Amino acid sequence: MSAEVEETLKRIQSHKGVVGVIVVNAEGIPIKSTLDNPTTIQYTGLISGLTDKARSVVRDLDPTNDLTFLRVRSKKHEIMIAPDKEYMLIVVQNTNE
Amino acid sequence: MDRLRLDSPDRRTAWKEEKERKLAKLKQLRAERENRRRKQLEKEAQEAAVRASSVPRDDQDLDKMLSSLGVAPVSEVLSSMSSMSSEPGGDHSGSPDKSLEANSTASPRTPSKKQPQLSVVSVQATNIPPRETVTYAKGVQTSGSGDGHGYYEDWWRPRKAEEEDNSLTMLDTPPIYGGGHNRHLPPGILPTGMPTVQDVKPALATEAEKKVEEEKPQPPRELSDEEKQMLMMTEEFHSFFDRSTRILERALAEDANIFVDYSHDYEEDGEANESGGIKLSLNRWFYDERWSRNRCITCMDWSPQYPELLVASYNNNEDSPHDPDGVALVWNTKFKKDTPEYIFHCQSPVMSATFARFHPNLIIGGTYSGQIVLWDNRSQKRTPVQRSPLSASAHTHPVYCMKVVGTQNAHNLISVSTDGKMCSWSLDMLSQPQESMELQHKQSRAVAVTCMAFPHGDVNNFIVGSEEGAVFTACRHGSKAGIVDAYEGHQGPVTGISTHSTPGPIDFSHLFLTSSIDWTVKLWSVKETKPLYSFEDNGDYVYEVAWSPIHPALFTTVDGSGRIDLWNLNQDTEVPTASTVVEGSPALNRVSWTNSGQQITVGDDMGKIWIYDVGEQLALPRADDWARLVHTMGELKNNQADDDQSTRHYDSSFSSLTSLSSSPLR
Repeated sequence: MSAEVEETLKRIQSHKGVVGVIVVNAEGIPIKSTLDNPTTIQYTGLISGLTDKARSVVRDLDPTNDLTFLRVRSKKHEIMIAPDKEYMLIVVQNTNE
Repeated sequence: MDRLRLDSPDRRTAWKEEKERKLAKLKQLRAERENRRRKQLEKEAQEAAVRASSVPRDDQDLDKMLSSLGVAPVSEVLSSMSSMSSEPGGDHSGSPDKSLEANSTASPRTPSKKQPQLSVVSVQATNIPPRETVTYAKGVQTSGSGDGHGYYEDWWRPRKAEEEDNSLTMLDTPPIYGGGHNRHLPPGILPTGMPTVQDVKPALATEAEKKVEEEKPQPPRELSDEEKQMLMMTEEFHSFFDRSTRILERALAEDANIFVDYSHDYEEDGEANESGGIKLSLNRWFYDERWSRNRCITCMDWSPQYPELLVASYNNNEDSPHDPDGVALVWNTKFKKDTPEYIFHCQSPVMSATFARFHPNLIIGGTYSGQIVLWDNRSQKRTPVQRSPLSASAHTHPVYCMKVVGTQNAHNLISVSTDGKMCSWSLDMLSQPQESMELQHKQSRAVAVTCMAFPHGDVNNFIVGSEEGAVFTACRHGSKAGIVDAYEGHQGPVTGISTHSTPGPIDFSHLFLTSSIDWTVKLWSVKETKPLYSFEDNGDYVYEVAWSPIHPALFTTVDGSGRIDLWNLNQDTEVPTASTVVEGSPALNRVSWTNSGQQITVGDDMGKIWIYDVGEQLALPRADDWARLVHTMGELKNNQADDDQSTRHYDSSFSSLTSLSSSPLR
């Protein structure tokens, strides 16, 4: 079972332009990451806060609604965040090949 | 005993003497004891006298009995008790003793009762509650990571779902402390905006920040590697991972460049303009390294409910005998993700596959062994959930043709195998066919069916192509059940049939096309046993032909040299309007149009599915195409008539070409 997980992570990592993949749990602790530790900690801390804020925005506007996907596009990178109840998957991809 | 006595007279005498001595001693002791007792009695005669007199006669008898045994009389016991009690002078024995005394004084009045009277004493009970010690524990103020009700902790974080209701009540009842129920305002500040005077006010801001900062860097260091591994093994993690990676892979694959600037200088990339004009261009391909490598594609079908889903069935992989022989993959053309949506396999090579038209979750496969297998994408299994038996009542030869015909409530799966047997199945029960029929032609000769097609809207009549090169129409029910007509024309096995099903003002459903190993594609009408026209442009076996679903005069063919041809009958009947060779020139086994009619999917023998875009001018019909097709058909007929006449003089297809060229189609 964990081999499938590894394989899928490797596949995503080897996708065109992908810089890194991070799996974070609900408390903001990185479970798995393909980036180095300080970068991971930095991303995790910042993105957790951002996701919480985004989620609160969505829920404030409509309490029955919930955040399903978050994409932050910048000049150099695109950060794709798939949040869940317990965990969160973060993928960073380069734009402009 | 007698012997002893007899044996040792000395011993006897010694024993006797000793006994006498002991008896004497005992007597002495008794005498002394009795003397002592008497002395004691005399001493406390007064005290005892009262009691002794009070003691009833029964007791005196008792005393005698007891004294004979060596037990002091009852009165003495009592006196001894009182003497004992008087010396220490404890409270406990005082009260029972007094009560005893009282009883004993009272008892002469009731001599019958020897036992002491028991009276109920009211006991006064006082209840002292324990002392409440008020302690301040740190846990009250700041909670752990889960609770979140702490005053300072992460006041900006949204609460969990159960506490959502609080956000609405905050307007009615302003909280005692501003932190717990409120999500956006800092602690100490009411939603109305007025800061309240709190006890701990001065140290608020800095403390909160400090605490927040303290807690922030702490979490990332909490989990060890083992804990992470454990977490990754849980079921929850796997379901989350499966969901999220599916979405993410689609998101990754869609690299829709939303920042495209169309107003930039076009001269730099002049090629971009022509992309609209290209007739046939490669869009993408589907290939799975694990499951489709080195396997020939045997069939393709589109889902009626989700037009973007394509099922492709694969033959076996000769290089890997341990892999399952039959594979069916469901591909999604909507997203750029290039892994299959669903993977199914079974033990026998799958020769044909189709979506169950009225059951969106079911995929049916016809195998080389003659079994019909059913896969369900709701189950987690990749193997079939249902299988038809390998029996003489079902098929025993490879099933190359399958189709679901009928309506929602009354539908059947029709399957034909290469031994000429046609079975009609109900999808609920694959254990035996509902009905079966042998397709026989002339003198009970079974037809080896390689391909089958139903004319548009027809559930009773169908067309089959055989290995001998003949095409037959057949009927399922009715008086003429079985083979009806034979259409001779091909010189080799028929590989594909396509019936005209394009909706339009004029009905051409009597037309059908066939492709064959004899390098030709022929156009027929069901009304005539001779072909209307023969397309002879190919240089290799033509493996399949398909009408366009939207254009009445457009069809595509694929052959063994990797060539895809697009023919437009209204433009030219001699050469294809567009043609391309697939990269690597693999033999192309199957071709199919997407429902939109703007893309062609081609399956080759190495396991790849190629998707080509058809240029819009070519793919989209114009309003007059139907009328033009009628005209074309008329001309073809005329040419054929001329052809027939000319063949009397010289027999070759060359003449048909010359006659055609002499009379232009337009």
